[in-house]
Amino acid sequence: MFAWPGILWLALLFVFPLYVVLALAFGSLDPIFRSPVPAWNPLQWDASQFTYVLQHLVGDDGFFGPAIFRTFVFVIIASIGCLAISYPVAYFVSRFGGRRKALILGLLIAPFWISYMMRMLAWVNLLQTDGLVNKALSVGGIFPVHVAWLDGRPTTVVLGLIYGYVPYMILPLYSGLDRIQPSLLEAARDLGASRWATFRRVTLPMSKPAVLASLLLVTLPMVGDYFTNDLLSGSPSTAMFGNLINTAIQVPAQQGQGAAFLALMFVVLLGPMIYYIRATSRQEGETV
Amino acid sequence: MSEELHRSHPGLSRRSFMRGTAGALALPSLAAFLEACSKTPASTGGASAAPTFSVASPTNPVKWDIPTTNKAIASGLTPEQGGTVNIYTYVDYVDPEALKSFEAKYKKYNAKVVITTFEDTTEAITKIRAGSVNVDIYNPSYDQLGKLVKAELIQPLNHDYIPNIVNVWPEFTNPFYDQEWRYTIPYVVYTTGIAWRTDLVSIDVGSLANPYDALWDPTFAKKLSVLDDYRTCMGMVAFRNKLSPNATSAADLEVIHKQLTLLNSTMSPKVNVTDYQDLPTGAVSICQAWSGDAINMQSYMPAGKSPDTLRYWFPSDGKGAIDNDLLVVTKASKSPVLAHLFLDHMMEYEVAMGNFSAVGYQPPQTKITPETLVADEFIPKNLASAVVLPAYFDAGQRSLELSPADDQAWQQIWQQFKAGA
Repeated sequence: MFAWPGILWLALLFVFPLYVVLALAFGSLDPIFRSPVPAWNPLQWDASQFTYVLQHLVGDDGFFGPAIFRTFVFVIIASIGCLAISYPVAYFVSRFGGRRKALILGLLIAPFWISYMMRMLAWVNLLQTDGLVNKALSVGGIFPVHVAWLDGRPTTVVLGLIYGYVPYMILPLYSGLDRIQPSLLEAARDLGASRWATFRRVTLPMSKPAVLASLLLVTLPMVGDYFTNDLLSGSPSTAMFGNLINTAIQVPAQQGQGAAFLALMFVVLLGPMIYYIRATSRQEGETV
Repeated sequence: MSEELHRSHPGLSRRSFMRGTAGALALPSLAAFLEACSKTPASTGGASAAPTFSVASPTNPVKWDIPTTNKAIASGLTPEQGGTVNIYTYVDYVDPEALKSFEAKYKKYNAKVVITTFEDTTEAITKIRAGSVNVDIYNPSYDQLGKLVKAELIQPLNHDYIPNIVNVWPEFTNPFYDQEWRYTIPYVVYTTGIAWRTDLVSIDVGSLANPYDALWDPTFAKKLSVLDDYRTCMGMVAFRNKLSPNATSAADLEVIHKQLTLLNSTMSPKVNVTDYQDLPTGAVSICQAWSGDAINMQSYMPAGKSPDTLRYWFPSDGKGAIDNDLLVVTKASKSPVLAHLFLDHMMEYEVAMGNFSAVGYQPPQTKITPETLVADEFIPKNLASAVVLPAYFDAGQRSLELSPADDQAWQQIWQQFKAGA
């Protein structure tokens, strides 16, 4: 009985949208407007758009393959980068923030007050060849720097992803690290563990669920991100999975392929989600 | 701007949604509920019906039918009191002063003009079909016209309300895509060429044997952009190779495909429609550009940089990409008389020139010549080549509507290019 609100929530915000995506991916085309006509009845589903996408993922004709491979490389590097920045920050705040925790956290989430797109647009200005970043790197003109950051560089896109998603990782990590009882750390130290051993054998294992959750929080939207690449590169040579979807949606007659891409992305991302659920369930079981 | 930015979706009207919702309450079947929601407008013929509209071209001009279910408004009607003209167009594509002057002109009817914008015509047509936006005037490209007429989304014009048609080039009173201008008036005309800055590009692009080669010149690798519009960009590759911008043969498409792949691998171009900002700010040195954007670039030059460095090339013999956008009145218009009067207003010389000055895109006014535009300081002398001449419409080539199969072949090549494969 008490599960009904949750079920209704899931049905409205997950099952129904997913079904719409599938109905579009397996639908047909309007003969005049060349727009997708959803097939609501699964018995009438036409797999041609979906098959088209699958046939062009790998092999000689696999022109979608490089963008998908590139996406995973970008996302993995950017996620590691986010973690490398976020973990020490979250650790510092939770352990040493003291009475200033709230202030530090407020400052950390300050970027949330500005939309992601606006932040990226700001970087477009900063990263111009004669922009502030190059000026800062040149240390007042001592070392002339003329890096064309915006000329379609993978590095710029990855750095943009890291910058854009770091705040999303810091908060759950902080939340997880802050929940670790200080008495456990003190017990470890009392039993002779060094600071490093305490971190490695107590803090790190206990923060694993938070690490997994935060990784999940940033990697899922990163996989579908398209405007970081659009704004900071704009070149097809750095196109990501999200750009494939965006292109498909914008071109007449290909919106069905866009839906197929979405369905495919859902299947691919289901793996890490299931892993997260299993890992956290196991952890909870061990704790109990 | 042509088709790609100008792109389409089946309708889900509020009426059908509500009907479907009621059905869902009575019947538990989700599929049945959604089926009820998805009724496409009957006039589109549904998903399985074969399209029967003609594909217009200069050699196959089309005079669209005026069905008994979609007659023009009668002559001599009084403008709607307190009526609103809702214009559905691109961002920054209509001069706000033109709206104010229209409201002032029809003040005694308390006329209002409201602009609603769309990103691309896919979104626009979806919303118009769904009835989710109030639209009196829409801003399509001519290659969408057959669909709009066939689906009865636009209404035939009553010419009695539009006497200013005499101000525009005569060919637009009988264009190939709408003989007898039954449904459309011309809005702006434009060419597609190459823009560059002389302080960033050392060669004179226009003097090259084949100026399109400049976009494949490794000197400008990573410093160029092409337009994010499959017909426009691929059309440029076709022009480079003396092919038709409406090529359909497998051999021609293969040439286009290979050269786009080469462009990607050797030049790493930006693919966007922000060239009018990117060139002035130096984010790119050279770019494919629409003539209207080239004219607009002077407004985006950073402080201290002279617009004298801007250049635009389009073949002087007019044998390049040439197009025009339209204005139409929707069938669902709630203020059709005012909508007609607004079309007329936009063709008034002073209003049209004010609009030109604001948006950069040239109206096909008969009084315009490159000399007067330069003399009147509408555009600097160095951008005089961005002025569109009537003769270009005889010599140039338009992006015509392709058959679904040919269009699909074009889109697949574009998809590969955009995927960076």
